[in-house]
Amino acid sequence: MADKPSDLVQGTLDMLILKTLALEPMHGYGIAVRIEQMSKGVFRVNAGSLFMAFQRLQRDGLIRSEWKATENSRRAKYYALTEQGRKRLNSETREWGRQVAAIARILEAS
Amino acid sequence: MSLRSIASGLRSLFRKEQITQELDEELNGFLEMAAEEKIKEGMSHKEALRTVRLERGTLEITKEAVRSATWESFAETCWQDIRFGLRTLRKSPAFTAVALLTLALGIGANTAIFTLIHAVMLKALPVPNPSQLYRLGDNNNCCVMVGTQNDGSFVLYSYSLYEYLHDHTPEFAELAAFKSSLADLSVRRPGDSTAEPYKGEFVSGNYFNLFAIRASVGRLLAPRDDSSNAPRVAVMSYRTWQQRFLLDPSVVGSTMNVDGVSYTITGVAPPRFYGDTLRSDPPDFWLPLSAEPEKWLLHNVDVEWLYVLGRLKPGFAPEPVQAQLTVELQQWLSSHREVIPQRDWKDIPRQHIRLTPGARGVEQMQTDYALGLRLLVTLSALLLLIACANIANLLLARGSANRSQTAVRLALGAPRSRLIRQMLTESVLLALAGGAAGLYLAYAGTHAVLRLAFRGAHYIPIDARPSAPVLGFAIGLSLATGIVFGIAPAWMASLSDPIDALRGAGRSTGDRSSVVQKSLIIVQVAFSIVLLIGAGLVTQSLRNLEDQNFGFVTDGRLMVSIINPGLAGYTEDQLGALYQRLEEVLPQIPGVLNASLSTYSPLEGSNWNERVYIDGKPPDYSGTAPSWLRVGPHYFETIGTRLLQGRTIDERDTPAAQHVAVVNETFARKFFPNENAIGQHFGMEDVGHSGDYKIVGIVEDAKYQDTRGPAYATFFLPLLQAPPGEQLRGWAAAIQLHVAGKPENLEPAVRKAIAEIDPNLAVLKVLSFGEQVARNFNQERLIARLTDLFGVLALILACVGLYGVTAYAVARRTNEIGVRMALGADRRNVLGLVLRAALAQLGLGLAIGIPAALAGGRVLVNQLYGVKSYDPMIIGFAAAVLAACAVLAASVPARRATRVDPIVALRYE
Repeated sequence: MADKPSDLVQGTLDMLILKTLALEPMHGYGIAVRIEQMSKGVFRVNAGSLFMAFQRLQRDGLIRSEWKATENSRRAKYYALTEQGRKRLNSETREWGRQVAAIARILEAS
Repeated sequence: MSLRSIASGLRSLFRKEQITQELDEELNGFLEMAAEEKIKEGMSHKEALRTVRLERGTLEITKEAVRSATWESFAETCWQDIRFGLRTLRKSPAFTAVALLTLALGIGANTAIFTLIHAVMLKALPVPNPSQLYRLGDNNNCCVMVGTQNDGSFVLYSYSLYEYLHDHTPEFAELAAFKSSLADLSVRRPGDSTAEPYKGEFVSGNYFNLFAIRASVGRLLAPRDDSSNAPRVAVMSYRTWQQRFLLDPSVVGSTMNVDGVSYTITGVAPPRFYGDTLRSDPPDFWLPLSAEPEKWLLHNVDVEWLYVLGRLKPGFAPEPVQAQLTVELQQWLSSHREVIPQRDWKDIPRQHIRLTPGARGVEQMQTDYALGLRLLVTLSALLLLIACANIANLLLARGSANRSQTAVRLALGAPRSRLIRQMLTESVLLALAGGAAGLYLAYAGTHAVLRLAFRGAHYIPIDARPSAPVLGFAIGLSLATGIVFGIAPAWMASLSDPIDALRGAGRSTGDRSSVVQKSLIIVQVAFSIVLLIGAGLVTQSLRNLEDQNFGFVTDGRLMVSIINPGLAGYTEDQLGALYQRLEEVLPQIPGVLNASLSTYSPLEGSNWNERVYIDGKPPDYSGTAPSWLRVGPHYFETIGTRLLQGRTIDERDTPAAQHVAVVNETFARKFFPNENAIGQHFGMEDVGHSGDYKIVGIVEDAKYQDTRGPAYATFFLPLLQAPPGEQLRGWAAAIQLHVAGKPENLEPAVRKAIAEIDPNLAVLKVLSFGEQVARNFNQERLIARLTDLFGVLALILACVGLYGVTAYAVARRTNEIGVRMALGADRRNVLGLVLRAALAQLGLGLAIGIPAALAGGRVLVNQLYGVKSYDPMIIGFAAAVLAACAVLAASVPARRATRVDPIVALRYE
């Protein structure tokens, strides 16, 4: 991996957000930081993409949101996984595993 | 898009304020939290915020991205575009008005023509499953025939042959027959003093079963009604019931006196049903074939007079049935050889039946108007192209005028696609508004066109209201016009370089769009000259047709058609008294100078022809048999046909006197090329009759049927002179009056006088000769008037276009003109400068258009009467008119250019 953080693989942001929220409800900045931490600094999340993803996921009924106070007693919008979102996360994780394995096989074949 | 997404989209549309506020707060929080981290790392607050923006994007762009990702924001920007478009259109009313008018004319003309095409050419009969209907025959030959048929293709059938086909072709669910022409009926309700004229059609008893329609009231005809001993019944059309009997329910079941016979009205047909043929004045009554008063039609095996229409059972293909019908026809013909004239025997093996789609019934109007409609489609398409070129030009000019505005927007970061979308929205808006106006024009226009096309008709079963396909056509056409002719100007405008445009708007003297504009003008001029020359040709042709010498006088003459006296109950020996009474009474009507009787009047649609046998010459079967009619005393004087030699038919020519005939010039020339016709004898039927009539006079040729070709060879017999021992054929049903003053004014007096002689003698029509002649040219007139109209519209549009482009060029070259004038150019130079450009476009357009018109004229040549397709007068006149209008259009802005004040123009920068 290069030194500079790279953009996310196309279409994986939604899955990563769902994964992050599977642990606990979280606000936008927290989600961004969590993704970056978990990827050990490989990914950098752009605010525009992040909030567009929130909007999309919320409209699809995969996450819901509410305003809450943060640990620093600041008001923030917390996102949480819905039942539907949990199911989606499971199915996407499985699908992702299948694809990664397949790609790995192709790359190793040569 | 999911339902949830729609719902939340709508929610966010209605709670826009709150949503925006929340997003703001959330993003601000995001920024602050990120900045806090940085501050913890030791940055100043300001520095931290800057770093976060760099790393994660600015707040504003994020907000915009989040907001524009939703469908409702797309809808919102569309709505914005629409509002913006409406606002800009309102701000330039002149542009909007010209564009709307142009579009309305282009789309209106095309929609009107499409309405006609849809109604006449495409619409099926208003009956269930019309596509199952097939007609036995492929042309519209009418009305009574004997022997083999034209080119071997059977169209007219004898009753006996129809029955044979009906009984031997089980593939048809129904096979019905009907008389090929409508009958004039004289109908009197019990208690009415006079009989009223109506149209009737004689149909087989299964006619309504064929169409599978049900009565509005009562019942329709059934097969049992169609027999000679069944009670006489008739079915009324819904329109007649509505308009003449005001939906009176007591009509059904009542009896009416039709041609002297009492009929019971069993029912009323469904509202939209007009019979088997789309035509003006469709039948008011349907009567069974067995009631046909001319019994010889029904019972003579050799007389062919019926059209046949069938409904194939589902699952049967027409081709095998067609082959089988031909086999049946051959079988019938070979077993009925005796009824075929011997001279036709050699043609029997060629006789066949073509099964043609009958969804539109008998395609009379479709055939008659096919060519005219095709011409009109071409013309209206040309007009639309001209209109589109104008719109494109207007939009281009406006795009260039708005260049600095566009440049500013581009410089401020508006994406090109967004600019194009906005401009397209504007042109689509314009086109739709133009289309709506066009639809209104089309509705009014279709009415006018129908009135023109069917002059003299009381009723046309064609609806001018736009139907769903017509609406679809108009909207589709508008959208296509808006998109196709909006996209190029929008694209060009969006290409403008912000730097160039901002640096010096209006400084350049030439650019890409002006070349396109000039080419469009050239195309417009070319199309316009084609239309104008076309208009000139068909108009001149119509004038030649109307103003030709018909061989009779059209001014101050009135023709009256009455019901055949036979249908009003007269017998042969009562005729003499009736004729005498008419001849006495009619000239006494004040204003009538002369009156006469005949079997039919000129150019009213009747023509009887029959072979003649000349005394002392071998029979001659070549060519068309001569036409003939019976005429009373003073006939030729009354209609104004000149006597050339001998005498006319007069009071001396009673049944007892020597039998005489008058012939026309063509007859005399044809049968007596090198001798004097006067004193010769001839007869009809066969050689044995060749001494029947002695020729006593020759009159000038007059046209009775065909207005374009030469007059037919014609002979005239006295009203009552039948060969000894034979029935009198040809009863007078036509009256001619030579009157003083306006012929139409006499109608009430004439009707009254005839009703006083006998109320059963229904008057079918009263018309001036001029009007009767004019109705022969309905189609020509329709085409000529519409071509004229389209030509004038094209001229106006081309001139508007030329004006617009020239005015625009002058506006843009104001500085240049100012400089030129400052350097010493005078007004003449400037005028020349501007006009030269306009004249160059005009000249090029003419150079392209005139050869195109010459080529197009060759297609028209068969339709023209007395005009050559390359008439130099017409071409010269059209070019002169176009040039004059174009120069006028260009000289207005040119004059404005000469008034440019150099000081003002230069200071303007």
